[in-house]
Amino acid sequence: MNNIKERHPDNYFSLLGVDIRFNINTQKLTENYHALQRSVHPDKFANASDRERRLSVQQAAHINDALHTLKNPTQRAIYLLSLYDIELSEHNKSIDPAFLMDQMVLRESLSQVADKSDPFAELETILVDVNAKIKDTLAELESLFQDILSNTESSDVNNKELLLKQATASVLKMQFLNRLQEECLNKEEDLADQL
Amino acid sequence: MALLQISEPGQSTAPHQHKLAVGIDLGTTNSLVASLKSGLAQTIADENGDHLLPSVVQFLGKTDDGYHTHIGFEAQNNAISDPLNTISSAKRYMGRGLDDIKKHSLYKFVTDENSVVPRIQTIAGNVSAIEVSAEILKKLKQRAEEALGDELTGAVITVPAYFDDAQRQATKDAAKLANLKVLRLINEPTAAAVAYGLDTGSEGNHVIYDLGGGTFDISILKLTKGVFEVLSTAGDSALGGDDLDHVITDWMLAEANIIDPNASLLRTVLDAARQAKETLSQQDMTELSIDLGEGKLWQGELSLEKFEQLIKPLIRKTLIPCRRALRDANLEIEDIQDIVMVGGSTRVPLVRQMVGEFFDTEPLVDIDPDKVVAIGAARQADVLVGNKSDEDMLLLDVTPLSLGLETMGGLAEKVIHRNTTIPVARAQEFTTFKDGQTAMAIHVVQGERELISDCRSLARFELRGIPPMVAGAARIRVTFQIDADGLLSVSAREETSGVESKIQVKPSYGLSDGEIESMLKESFSHAQDDIDARKLREEQVEAKRVVEALLAALEEDGKTLLSAKEQSIIYQEISELSQFAEGSDRRAIKLKIEHVDKATSDFAQRRMDASINLALAGKKVDDIGSDS
Repeated sequence: MNNIKERHPDNYFSLLGVDIRFNINTQKLTENYHALQRSVHPDKFANASDRERRLSVQQAAHINDALHTLKNPTQRAIYLLSLYDIELSEHNKSIDPAFLMDQMVLRESLSQVADKSDPFAELETILVDVNAKIKDTLAELESLFQDILSNTESSDVNNKELLLKQATASVLKMQFLNRLQEECLNKEEDLADQL
Repeated sequence: MALLQISEPGQSTAPHQHKLAVGIDLGTTNSLVASLKSGLAQTIADENGDHLLPSVVQFLGKTDDGYHTHIGFEAQNNAISDPLNTISSAKRYMGRGLDDIKKHSLYKFVTDENSVVPRIQTIAGNVSAIEVSAEILKKLKQRAEEALGDELTGAVITVPAYFDDAQRQATKDAAKLANLKVLRLINEPTAAAVAYGLDTGSEGNHVIYDLGGGTFDISILKLTKGVFEVLSTAGDSALGGDDLDHVITDWMLAEANIIDPNASLLRTVLDAARQAKETLSQQDMTELSIDLGEGKLWQGELSLEKFEQLIKPLIRKTLIPCRRALRDANLEIEDIQDIVMVGGSTRVPLVRQMVGEFFDTEPLVDIDPDKVVAIGAARQADVLVGNKSDEDMLLLDVTPLSLGLETMGGLAEKVIHRNTTIPVARAQEFTTFKDGQTAMAIHVVQGERELISDCRSLARFELRGIPPMVAGAARIRVTFQIDADGLLSVSAREETSGVESKIQVKPSYGLSDGEIESMLKESFSHAQDDIDARKLREEQVEAKRVVEALLAALEEDGKTLLSAKEQSIIYQEISELSQFAEGSDRRAIKLKIEHVDKATSDFAQRRMDASINLALAGKKVDDIGSDS
């Protein structure tokens, strides 16, 4: 079960002292992050030698990067996939055409929000829809990664390949949804600024 | 044994000796210096009992060792009679180019071919905002050293959270000119949070709303057991109390029918406007009168209602960053525990009212909004020099603005996003677009917009010597690193050939190293001896610092991480370095420091690894036998 750990002994999960899983223990993550920064942060090395200060900046940056990656669900999923040597590609064709269609419709309505009689209500409807889809996709990822990570060496290799493929598709969906969510919030800010 | 050779009298290596460190709030309108006194952070007053030092410098002329100046109240009082030589609000010009600073400026700015830094024409010659700030820092340093009775080890200087790289670098350069060691640049709202948080010990999410004389910052921090974690920061580095003064000034000029006022009259009206703003924080109405010269007098009145109508758009402008900070922190208004008001401009009742309404909470004003930043900085300074007063305190701050590179078509590709916790290092790979391309121009920008022309240009450099390849074959890895002061360095490396180029980003409107060097020379009586003596002393101090740091490290970890032989080698190095430090050969000391640095690199790495392992010792248990 721990073959990931054997292949990647210095992975971010181990660095931050949390289990390798998608459904992460965020409280523990934060606690351990603070404990680590307390021991390596440059503020603790203000009087140290140049070399120690440089090392401290590097280590603190590395730990910040690890936290940043694990804290965000999409980044965390991408990272987990990378531990299985899967790199996401922009040109991945594994996305469901129906999902893409749906995205286009949402985008279309987002671009017309400003012309509606109550743009904020309109925006809220879109945002609720996007957030619900994000929630569903997160649940998908959670279940997929649970299966992937509990999959032992002896079990069906083909099945694992399939699960990883599905997880990759879900991550790509998440990226679309995150972008759309951000655009909704940008739009909301723009509208608010014009008030 | 080698250890004995270094414990000479007069050369203190006692690890717990109390060191003097101060916090400095280098403000647009006023500056302060604070230090810890028996565990309590306090601002230091001058001989008249004044804590605030108006950030105003009157240049009177040049002397052998720098400028002849009046600083503070004395300068402020002379501002009307000598408006062009009396510089106020210099902070607004830090790290800025000529185009940025022309608006609303009383002064005559010039640039010359030798420098990109705009300078103000004065009777003492052309001075940059960095030099003006350096004069203020010198004054505060002197005040602190007189009050504390000894030389300062260093200072924490605060900067607006929303300051960009150029503005931060300019602040550090000012400290260098003032011969003040910067322990750390910290963000003003973070310093304020330290001042508040440590006293109340309240856990949770806190908003710091900091409206100063010339800058506006909003930071959202999460406080957990002494860790101050900045979740997001936003702001406007050109919006502050000055702008409130300016809208009143414009209104007064219109009311009094003054067209095209001279510098002295403009100064008079500005002062009256500021006075009116302060009065209207207490009263409903204020009388105005302006001496127009030639026996003419304008009289009028400004009601609170009119005043609020004038300034309302500016205050509303501060709510946009508030909204953005909340969003970036991924929080709702209900998640906010309290709002702390910082900066003199938060005394304006309308500011408190509108911010209170926005966050649906009564803002906190328990600590003097003028002093709170300096007090927080003093506490952090004390921690940094190792006095262990607030040992458990840790500040985790963020970078306020996204950093990126120019790519094809004039677009900015972000490498580090705003509100990323610092220190941070991120790399991005790029490639060549022409066959046989052997050089690549790297243009570093800061800002949120997609077009390069809408972002602030920070620096340009070139990676040369790329072996000729077909377009798209080269793999150029550009690494951005932001240190704990929020300052950026960038390196580029072609991965297939290993060709490398590295720069400490020198901002486009910054002083060059050569300029700083020559300014320092000028302030040292021109004599080469003085400069040499100073450089020698600097190197000696550095050598002693290295010796102290290594002794402390050995005491802590020597026995556990090093073999007896390794220990004795390092003790030998320390002993030799101490001897060098007593000598007067500056180059030799420098080389020896570098040598010691190399000789102890393994030890440093082992210490770092050990501290990481120790940090999570006993916490990893549940990692085993779990469902992963």
